[in-house]
Amino acid sequence: MGAGQRVVEREELAQAPNTKPRRQRWFEYQKPIPVVWSLLLGISVWVLFFGMWELAAARGWIDTLFMPPPHQVLATLYTMIAERGFLSDIGISIYRILLSFAMACAIAIPLGVLMGSFRTVDAFFNPFVSAWRYLPAPAFIPLLLMWFGVGEGSKLALLFIGVIFFLITLIMDHTRAVRAELIETAMTLGANRWQILSTIVLPAVAPKILVSMRQMLAVSWTYLVIAEIVAATTGIGAVMMRGQRFLKVDEIMAGILVIGMVGLFFDFLFRLAYRVLFPFVANGQR
Amino acid sequence: MPPKSFQAASPKLAVRGVGKRYRLNGGKTIDAVHDVSFDVMEGEICALLGPSGCGKSTVLRMVAGLEDPSSGAMFLDNAQIDGPHKSRGMVFQRYTSFDWMTVQKNVEYGMKINGVSKADRGAQADHFIQMIQLSKFKNAYPCQLSGGMQQRVAIARTLANGPSILLMDEPFGALDAETKWQMQELMISIVETSKVTVLIVTHDIEEAIFLADRIIFMSRHPGTVRENMVTEFKDGRRFSSHEEMIEAKGFHEIEKKIMHMMRDEMRNDREEALQEC
Ligand SMILES: Nc1ncnc2c1ncn2[C@@H]1O[C@H](COP(=O)(O)OP(=O)(O)OP(=O)(O)O)[C@@H](O)[C@H]1O
Ligand SMILES: [Mg+2]
Repeated sequence: MGAGQRVVEREELAQAPNTKPRRQRWFEYQKPIPVVWSLLLGISVWVLFFGMWELAAARGWIDTLFMPPPHQVLATLYTMIAERGFLSDIGISIYRILLSFAMACAIAIPLGVLMGSFRTVDAFFNPFVSAWRYLPAPAFIPLLLMWFGVGEGSKLALLFIGVIFFLITLIMDHTRAVRAELIETAMTLGANRWQILSTIVLPAVAPKILVSMRQMLAVSWTYLVIAEIVAATTGIGAVMMRGQRFLKVDEIMAGILVIGMVGLFFDFLFRLAYRVLFPFVANGQR
Repeated sequence: MPPKSFQAASPKLAVRGVGKRYRLNGGKTIDAVHDVSFDVMEGEICALLGPSGCGKSTVLRMVAGLEDPSSGAMFLDNAQIDGPHKSRGMVFQRYTSFDWMTVQKNVEYGMKINGVSKADRGAQADHFIQMIQLSKFKNAYPCQLSGGMQQRVAIARTLANGPSILLMDEPFGALDAETKWQMQELMISIVETSKVTVLIVTHDIEEAIFLADRIIFMSRHPGTVRENMVTEFKDGRRFSSHEEMIEAKGFHEIEKKIMHMMRDEMRNDREEALQEC
């Protein structure tokens, strides 16, 4: 086949009618979509949700005593913040979450990585950690109240035991999944055990650890609300509980709204941190 | 191929009566390899060839120190092998790029943990990155490279660490045919310039003949050395391209001979299977 023939073919191809870029389609299996699109879609689901709700309230399809419309919830949220110091309740809830979560991570990350790396550490701690995972944390509330009283201690303790054992297990599993070849490669390059832990295992699991943290922080909020509903005078959960006592449905909903928004904000922070810290992770694997 | 005078000298790597027995679940044991002995000379490329499951990887991993032999001993430069060491760097079949490091940092890794100064490291890495023709990509992350490129990085990373012997376990097994050729030809040029001794595992007959100055053919059940051949038809030099090899006198003879051995192994295997029934 001569080169001339190939050139002709290519010219024909260029003139062919159907060489236009393929139409962008809405539904493609697992293909990424434009950022603007995903942003718009993400916003529109909320617009739709609140719009329907507002509509249902305006038309009288729902009882507004038990389900006040979104604009009323927003108005209530505003007065709560402006006149009743709701911001400080939000602040104290966030403080409880962050402090207990930081303590849980400070233990779970080193322990999980060590358990995933060394079978001896695993054999010692795993029976203990696994058993705890099956004990529902709220079952300890009566005990915690007796030990720590109604102060900060009992709330922090509940949040701590609520997430730490899951966090340890997740991190351990991710560490165990670090490919043996990576470790063996480092060994044949002369790395000792400590160097392998610090230069191979830790950086290899770091992205997975961050993802686990993101997932468990969401669980943390569940325990926060439980803790604050059961025994607290401050915090978002306590405010919601008071709302229930006085039949203030809009205040309960304002609390839920705030938890959702703060949760979304932390999720965003984690995603941002992931992008900044781990630019090397291929886009498809994020 | 190394000059004849080397062959009389003491071997670079000496494997002496090495066996490996694995204990299976349930208390039974199997001899993965049994009484394996061979020598690799300084500057030689030696290929471990044989059917799947004959214990090639097991032997290589024992030489790397990643696995302890159940019997026998191995010596590198007359020192007994005991555990992994930077003098015996290994390249695996699966990609082993450290994803969180750029190409440059990957290649520098071994030197860094062994305390080579930053300036020396940089210069050495540059040299090897150039050798594997990835200078343009030295600041890229591995996820941006193709499989063949990543494997080149692994080779450069191992060589830059200055090993006495380069160990490779089917390093091109996962690559497509064309990339494989390129890599094999690149390997020859790298070995010619860096004079490193190589022990490479493969089950690809052509690859073994193209690369190796010596081929150790292993048979199965238990895995042991069946034949230790020097590729004499190459007449003391290495080929720089596959065409050159195919046209060389004696190539087809050695290829046929190895194919027969391979076929023979398959037949033995079938007979064994029948007997077990
Ligand atoms: N960790 C292990 N436990 C038990 N048996 C093993 C183990 N590793 C290898 N074997 C056995 O030892 C034998 C040799 O295995 P090896 O992986 O060395 O073969 P190989 O020649 O490299 O094969 P392949 O070409 O398929 O890679 C096989 O029969 C295998 O089942
Ligand atoms: Mg193998």
